[in-house]
Amino acid sequence: MKDIDDPQKVQKEILKKTYLISLLPIISSLLAGEYDVTLGFIFGLVIATLLLRLKYNNIIRALSMEEESAEKFIRNRYFLEYALYFLVLVTAVRHARLNFLAAAVGLFMIKFVVISWSVIDLLKDTFQSKIDEYK
Amino acid sequence: MIEFSPEVANTVITTVSYIAAGAAMIAGVGPGVGMGFAAGKATSAVRRQPQARGPIITTMLLGQVISASTGIYSLVIAIFLIFGI
Repeated sequence: MKDIDDPQKVQKEILKKTYLISLLPIISSLLAGEYDVTLGFIFGLVIATLLLRLKYNNIIRALSMEEESAEKFIRNRYFLEYALYFLVLVTAVRHARLNFLAAAVGLFMIKFVVISWSVIDLLKDTFQSKIDEYK
Repeated sequence: MIEFSPEVANTVITTVSYIAAGAAMIAGVGPGVGMGFAAGKATSAVRRQPQARGPIITTMLLGQVISASTGIYSLVIAIFLIFGI
């Protein structure tokens, strides 16, 4: 992660990578004619993007508070976000045109990208240090 | 061997799945407490070192995104159990 000093840039980079990777399931489900999967996936992805943005705004607000009030604020906001996730998943279950599993995977896409990005960075660093040791 | 009628068996299965869904939802509480704790510490860290605000926000954002996922896993399992997909 190069731009760790600038959270906005990191956020944009994460979203860019997420959308790029998401093209694969979206295009493949469209080609297979599974339109409910496409819609569910896009639904989950859009909500995940909005919740990431909300999380960032909450963090910025929390940093201007006292330690205890920031703790309470972030905890309460997490439970609100949790309720939103619940509503999204229940909507995906209830609606016949949205695939539930695809919506769940769409919600998880950003998390998968962040984890895989960190793992790739870790592997890169490990290989680089091995090469440097060898030199 | 005791045999249950299909209605009784269905009622038992539904009841047990609701109880299991409730138990799965307990996993959603942990990340909230952890996130709040991390946010409190991040606030005091920014007070101490204002120049490290950017990296702290980035680390906190990524940490919160990842830690929220365990709660959502439990939510997905609970919805599976409730709606019986």
